[in-house]
Amino acid sequence: MFGEIFGAWVAVFLTFAIFSFLYKDNPFYKIAEHIFVGVSAGYWTSMFFWTQIQPNLFGRLWPSAQYSDGFWYGIYNFFGMISSSIFPEGGIDKGHDMHLTYLIPFALGIMMLLSLFKKLSWFARWGIAYTVGMAAGLRAYGYLNSNVLGQIRGTIIPLADPDLPMFSLLGASHFNNLIILVGTVTGLLYFFFSKEHKGNFGKVTRVGIYFLMISFGASFGFAVMGRISLLIGRFVELITYSSAQYHHATLWVLVIMVGLLGYSAYNDKDNPETEGS
Amino acid sequence: MLWKRHIPILIVAVIGSLTLFGWFIDEPNIKAFVNDDATQWFDILASFAIFLGGFNLLKMQLQKVLRKKQGWQYSLFAIGGFILAIIAGFFYKGNPDVAWGTHVTADGTLFKWIFMYIFAPLGATMFALLAFFVASASYRAFRIRNFEATLLLVSGIIIMIGRVPLGSSISSWFILYLLVLIGGIAINSVFKNKQYTAIFVSVGIIIVTSAGSSMGWPLDQPGIFYLPHLQEWIYMNPNVAGTRSIMMGIGLGIFATSIRYILGIEKSYIGE
Amino acid sequence: MKYISDLILKMSSVDRRWIFLVIALSVILPLYFPLGLPIRPTPTTQQVYDTIDALPHGSKILVSCEYGPSTKPEIHPMVLSVLRHLFKNEHKVYVTCLWPDGQFLASEALDLVGRDEYGLTYGEDYVLLGFRPGNEAVVKGIVSDIRKLYTIDAKGTKVTEIPMMNGVNRFEDFDFLFSASAGYPGTIEWVQYAADPTNVPMSTGTTSIQVNEVMPYVAAGQVQGILAGMPGAAEYEALIGVPGIGTSGMDAQSIAHLVIVLFIVLGNVGYLIERNRSKKY
Repeated sequence: MFGEIFGAWVAVFLTFAIFSFLYKDNPFYKIAEHIFVGVSAGYWTSMFFWTQIQPNLFGRLWPSAQYSDGFWYGIYNFFGMISSSIFPEGGIDKGHDMHLTYLIPFALGIMMLLSLFKKLSWFARWGIAYTVGMAAGLRAYGYLNSNVLGQIRGTIIPLADPDLPMFSLLGASHFNNLIILVGTVTGLLYFFFSKEHKGNFGKVTRVGIYFLMISFGASFGFAVMGRISLLIGRFVELITYSSAQYHHATLWVLVIMVGLLGYSAYNDKDNPETEGS
Repeated sequence: MLWKRHIPILIVAVIGSLTLFGWFIDEPNIKAFVNDDATQWFDILASFAIFLGGFNLLKMQLQKVLRKKQGWQYSLFAIGGFILAIIAGFFYKGNPDVAWGTHVTADGTLFKWIFMYIFAPLGATMFALLAFFVASASYRAFRIRNFEATLLLVSGIIIMIGRVPLGSSISSWFILYLLVLIGGIAINSVFKNKQYTAIFVSVGIIIVTSAGSSMGWPLDQPGIFYLPHLQEWIYMNPNVAGTRSIMMGIGLGIFATSIRYILGIEKSYIGE
Repeated sequence: MKYISDLILKMSSVDRRWIFLVIALSVILPLYFPLGLPIRPTPTTQQVYDTIDALPHGSKILVSCEYGPSTKPEIHPMVLSVLRHLFKNEHKVYVTCLWPDGQFLASEALDLVGRDEYGLTYGEDYVLLGFRPGNEAVVKGIVSDIRKLYTIDAKGTKVTEIPMMNGVNRFEDFDFLFSASAGYPGTIEWVQYAADPTNVPMSTGTTSIQVNEVMPYVAAGQVQGILAGMPGAAEYEALIGVPGIGTSGMDAQSIAHLVIVLFIVLGNVGYLIERNRSKKY
């Protein structure tokens, strides 16, 4: 319970510290920002290690199912003396068989880490090359199939179907299908820069820009919606933490922070050279 | 040259080709490698890349402290935060009933406490901050300088209002009256004749009022002026058309770039 | 008239901190004094509901959580609602995560809905397979052989010892996919590497910002409907009849949007006044 209440006060302080940036850049914000950077790096390092490296890499190099007294597990036992949590006794039991080919990504990974040293910075290239090659192969197929062919298929829609109405606000209609076809084609033509956008071609691309502007406006509307939703989420949490169960954390932290920032602003007013942006 | 340049290019070419053609080859060993082991290796290297980022960050912050650069005191908080997360991840569970490994997700651990009361609030608030800046930027910079900007603004406003419950509570007749008023302002700015403006606005109000009275003032009729229906039409038709054309353009671009990487034409990953 | 024009022009150059304060109040006040505006589901939300409702009882459903604490207000309510719908229809739910933070939030959602509300058994009615790094490579791995990618679940239990994993070897063994996505990797990767190649039906819920990127897939029938941000979550809560955070946030969302639109209109009125005056003089 103490952990929960203390955690609530920490969360409220950090939230208001970030929000204090709206007033102006100040030490509270800088402290919270640096804590976020440090904790994020440590959090992700721990998370990726325990969910990937330990079970899937070490678990395949030293599986418990094939534990023996040989040289290979001798190395494992040595690591186990350093950290018994990462290398528990008897091998790592995650349901894998031994795959010594996993020494290849292990070596590439170590080379990546060694690139921290300036003279060995080129070491990371091999690991990066593997990830780039893998991503390029995956994406070439994925984007061509779903984003190009799939969308072309979606644009081939009936323009003269007798079952469809001429126009409808909701649902398919001849007019709506025509809008989608014209908009897609003219929008695509706008991105064709090998021909100058003038004359009749210019008029067609102009129509394309109008459709693009409508979709940018829709994106803007959704972007505003998303940001406001996140703000609502933060305020809901602050309201929760203002209750008596958490000793009115929100109110106390707000009063103290506003007081300190106000006092600092009052001092800066007397000393204009020290005023920040 | 061989180690620093040719071998990385060869790795990209071999792995890229294998992954791409793996979609089309039915040979069991190749399929097993491409679908299973190759993806596992990718995951492992992705994890090491995260470690590299974390250690690089630590290195930079330590250098800032040791060289007493401007703002070095704040770097102590960054280093402290990193050390706290590493202690929670590797040295102190906080819940003795939980095994190492599952402690990163289990309840009652220090790691989970850090996630709930430090990491999550900070991340969420950073994003939430943008709401204020979006509002401020919209007020100060969003101007209808030309027809395209007007289209962008109008579609954005219709989506913003039509998509929330408030939009479904606004009658289409209110929108009609608003359009009559906007039309009047436009007539006035073009003709600069108060008489024309007055006639337009009066006739407009009379028509809208008569139509509304005869139909019984239904909230969602005429449908084209009911914001939720209008925003749905914009969302599903012209918006899809514009977004689709962008998506196809990006898809073709990514395909072309991927082939360039596999063929060794693009070498930006080795700094060329 | 001139006084009003001058006032509007003066307001155009107001300190932006006043705008921040007005936005903050427009969000806080409706949270304390709700208006109770009615929520009407949109066709794309209805499509998600109808697709899930039409699944035969006891289907194997893969729910993928790719969101974090920063996007929790938008996505978490829709995950809770979808889980309630799935458990009500007695489906078997398998949860994976492409984002590391998604695992915590997925665990929270499953405990609240599966364990506490419906009294279901972990391992028999629902299972949290957990997070694996690798982005689209993970999706590909799930498509080809899920057991090679997930040898243990999020609690460290071997997948071979989990009863509901019997007969589940690859993505095509699932009857439906719901992706709760806040960005990359997420819905788009599931469409490109899983749903499209295998024709397993999928629906999605995304943040408002991502909606426009995903809409063409919905329009082309590659994705069966979409829950668009917090309003989408509120609409789904209305459809299943269990209001939650999504619903309670809608009044604040409405008022904040109205305030921003008014700011935009005011800013443009000031711009037009200034433009007319500069033309005159």
